[in-house]
Amino acid sequence: MTGLGYTLPAVVAVLIVIAWELRVLRTGLFRQPAYWISMAIVFGFQILVDGWLTKLSAPIVLYNEHHSTGIRFPWDIPVEDFLFGFAMVTAVLLLWVRRGDRERESA
Amino acid sequence: MVGCLVLTAPLEVFGRGVYRQARRAAAAVIPVALVFIAWDLLAIVGDVWSYNPDFVTGVGIGVIPVEELMFFVVIPLCGLLTYSAVSTILAWLSRRRADRRVSR
Repeated sequence: MTGLGYTLPAVVAVLIVIAWELRVLRTGLFRQPAYWISMAIVFGFQILVDGWLTKLSAPIVLYNEHHSTGIRFPWDIPVEDFLFGFAMVTAVLLLWVRRGDRERESA
Repeated sequence: MVGCLVLTAPLEVFGRGVYRQARRAAAAVIPVALVFIAWDLLAIVGDVWSYNPDFVTGVGIGVIPVEELMFFVVIPLCGLLTYSAVSTILAWLSRRRADRRVSR
């Protein structure tokens, strides 16, 4: 395993999203309890859906283990998937909240 | 995927909703989807992951299955609906707490 194909981009994606909020957008999303509760709910459902997509008995998505840590938890979910999901959902919520702030300012 | 949409659809009733603010939702979902689709494309081309032909329709744009493209719209929408509903419920709870304090 090198981790270069999946582990590294997944970690970088998370860092970019966090830096984007803290340095550029500054929406305050990370200080909102609603955000963390939502992420907990999203992660709960990710385990169900992703677990089914990646189960090794009949996988729908096939991962090249050369590109990841090979750590799969829970069930057979590559841990990188959680970083991918966190980055994607957080980025969408940031844009959503930023737009809401702007609408409120102009109203 | 359809299950996710069905399960989160009732959350639209909370607050100002997500589907009722379609432009705002599109402005949040589409730019992120484009970035992640580009990532997905690189990963498929670079043989980081692939899709089991037994479980996808085989329909897609280039090497990206249509199911995967849907994923980048459906999952963020579900996330937005969850966040919108949670925010609304939390705001409602704190208002109720404040009201109770006033009535005492």
